[in-house]
Amino acid sequence: MRKNKFVAKTLLLIVLAFAMVISACGNGDNKSTNAGNDGKTAEGKSGNSSGELKPVELVMVFPVGGEPKDLKLVQDEINKMTKAKINATVKLVPIGFGAWAQQKTLMMSGNEQVDLIVSGLGTYSQDVAKGQLLELDGYLAENGQGVTEALDSLDTAFLNATRIDGKIYAVPSIRDLAADYGITMRKDLVEKYNIDTAAIKSLDDLDVVFKTIKDNEPDMIPTVKYGTSILDIYVLSYFDNLGEGFGVLPGYDNDLKVVNMYETPEYAEMLNTVRRWNQTGYIAKDAATSTETQYNLVKSGKAFSFISHMKPGIETQESRSTGKEMVSVHFRPAATATYNITSVMWSIARNSKDPERAMMLLNMMYTDKDFINLLDYGIENKHYVKVSDNVIDYPQGVDATSSGYNLQMGWMFGNQSLSHIWNGDDPELWNQLAEFNRNAVKSKALGFTFNADAVKTEIAAVTNVQNQYKIALETGTVDPIAKLPEFNKQLKAAGIDKIIAEKQKQLDAWAAAKK
Amino acid sequence: MQASGKLYQWIINIVMLVFTFFCIMPFWLLFSASLTDDMELVRSGYAFFPDKISFSAYHYLWNSSSDIIRAYSITVLTTIIGTTLGLTLTAMVAYPLSRIEMPFRNTLAFYVFFTMLFNGGLVPTYLLYTNYFDLKNTMLALIIPGLLMNGFFIILMRTFFASSIPTAIIESAYIDGAREWKIFYRIVLPLSTPVLATVGLFYTILYWNDWFNGLIYLTDSHYYSLQNLLNRILLDVQFLQSSTQAGSRNADIGANIPLAPMRMAMAAIGVIPLLIAYPFFQKYFVKGLTIGAVKG
Repeated sequence: MRKNKFVAKTLLLIVLAFAMVISACGNGDNKSTNAGNDGKTAEGKSGNSSGELKPVELVMVFPVGGEPKDLKLVQDEINKMTKAKINATVKLVPIGFGAWAQQKTLMMSGNEQVDLIVSGLGTYSQDVAKGQLLELDGYLAENGQGVTEALDSLDTAFLNATRIDGKIYAVPSIRDLAADYGITMRKDLVEKYNIDTAAIKSLDDLDVVFKTIKDNEPDMIPTVKYGTSILDIYVLSYFDNLGEGFGVLPGYDNDLKVVNMYETPEYAEMLNTVRRWNQTGYIAKDAATSTETQYNLVKSGKAFSFISHMKPGIETQESRSTGKEMVSVHFRPAATATYNITSVMWSIARNSKDPERAMMLLNMMYTDKDFINLLDYGIENKHYVKVSDNVIDYPQGVDATSSGYNLQMGWMFGNQSLSHIWNGDDPELWNQLAEFNRNAVKSKALGFTFNADAVKTEIAAVTNVQNQYKIALETGTVDPIAKLPEFNKQLKAAGIDKIIAEKQKQLDAWAAAKK
Repeated sequence: MQASGKLYQWIINIVMLVFTFFCIMPFWLLFSASLTDDMELVRSGYAFFPDKISFSAYHYLWNSSSDIIRAYSITVLTTIIGTTLGLTLTAMVAYPLSRIEMPFRNTLAFYVFFTMLFNGGLVPTYLLYTNYFDLKNTMLALIIPGLLMNGFFIILMRTFFASSIPTAIIESAYIDGAREWKIFYRIVLPLSTPVLATVGLFYTILYWNDWFNGLIYLTDSHYYSLQNLLNRILLDVQFLQSSTQAGSRNADIGANIPLAPMRMAMAAIGVIPLLIAYPFFQKYFVKGLTIGAVKG
């Protein structure tokens, strides 16, 4: 009995010791963060430059391709600026694209402080449905006039496109809010073989071009895929995919009648073209399974061109990505659908400590030139130097890989049109971009966001079928004459008609509410 | 009789050789890919013997060494701390559970066993560790959640203690005046090196290979471990290649991702230490595998 007691005591001791270790660690952390906060508060009180505003710390969460080395330095600069203007400090929290979905979901589901967050990236309607984003109309009217003005000066349709049940939950960044489509090719080869770029008006005009390349450069693949297939992105020039592409609007209009894209004659026509290319050897034999990006393929000298979505200034951008001089031919006109706008937006999270101040910060992101340039390009004379008034370049001895802050994500941070222009881009780029956005064909369903909850199981089943056929068809690996009908039969069996009917129902309701 | 024995040996050896070959081949491909010129890799694909050997991938890693070395030291540190702490705690839980005199023994054993089958799910776990223990963006996040104590290891050790340490030894030590602590660390632990080495190796591998905690609990790149760094790069690549819908943006980011040889080189330097450590553990490991076997 005595022994038993002793063992029990020992065990208790161990448990207690362990608990102490844990709580000690926890306390240590708490103390340090508290101390940090105290420091900031004290600082804030002494430097009370913006009147009655209480000092706050705002947390800004956004995705990145890789965290830049000098992020903290840029953050310090930003804080100097925001301290003076809205008496707030900003904590930048970049999350890698790969971890984004997981970490964002976890951060938003707890009560961690998140003030401004990039919404969109395909989950906008879900996040709104979960109630994770705050309704912005009131805040926009009060503290975000700059945001509204900047967006409405392009077209009032853009801000309205974000409305879900009539309310705004996110504002799109000002960037290319539409896309046109065409082909990007190696400039040196285009010149060498006198390829007439003006003659390219459709996919079928490309056969001549590819033949020239195939005949003269036998080791080169005339065209490679962009996204998951050759046509993956290009089909969007014919169809508003209304979300996930099951049920589309041909010609961005079709009187709001939703159809199955895979049954349209346009799609079948495109597949025939791609099949012909594959048979003639214009597409790599392993195109369906290759995972190499188009940029690496062009960079290594293995590929000649790719068909993609575009925007003004695409040539210089693609030249940078491929390390080769490129030339682009835009042969399908610009169009805007809801996803062009909702793909990258900013929202105020439900967990925000101070939504009003978060809106003030957001307002700065659309109106304050210096703030935007800091976020886009880093610190002047350290991460970039001015070449002329508005044009910037790397400082001497610094290049893309050695720069401590080289996000190149101006399209994400608010109003890109207020940022500097990188050397090599057209100095008029932002004006061209604004024109491009204004003149793009607006989809008749612009602003409609499909809520897929009711047909979740069908979507999963149809996606499986799509994974099985789409890439093989769109790279010309299999014969569309035999496989396309089979594909459609399988889609029907998996329930695509139900998805289309649900989409049509929601679209009709949306259209009725809009009137 | 003898001839057939020889034939048998031959067959066994050939089967083993073939098996070894298949085990080594992927590693060899990994190393050779990491030594291939990156553009060569795009042009002519992976090869067991690259046409053009290039150390550019390792050169690149050396140049960005501040990140890699930090990630490496984080991995080493979490592995050492985690293994030591995990092993100590596991032994300290397993030993009392192996003693029949222990009160509430079955209840506690069931509690341990229960965690092997059920857990709270990702979101509640995350909320607990970030909101109540403040583990987010700390080193502890790489050590504690999900890894530190493992029900399976506890039961493995308890079985060893119960079956391989004769009660007579413990009783004799007790008669000689040793208290429980002394019995534990002077008698039981020295007799248990096989199981300690086995579980230690399991812990080492778990900690060394863990990337999930980093993915969940870290947003500060300062604490990324090697596997986490590698995993993030791979996930980023995957993201860029999938998703067409929101993906019209993707192309803009692709330029910053390291090319295939760099990824291979990172995987190579990530796996080497374990390959080196393994032979030293192996002799214990073999003994450890016979845990539970009846002894004379």
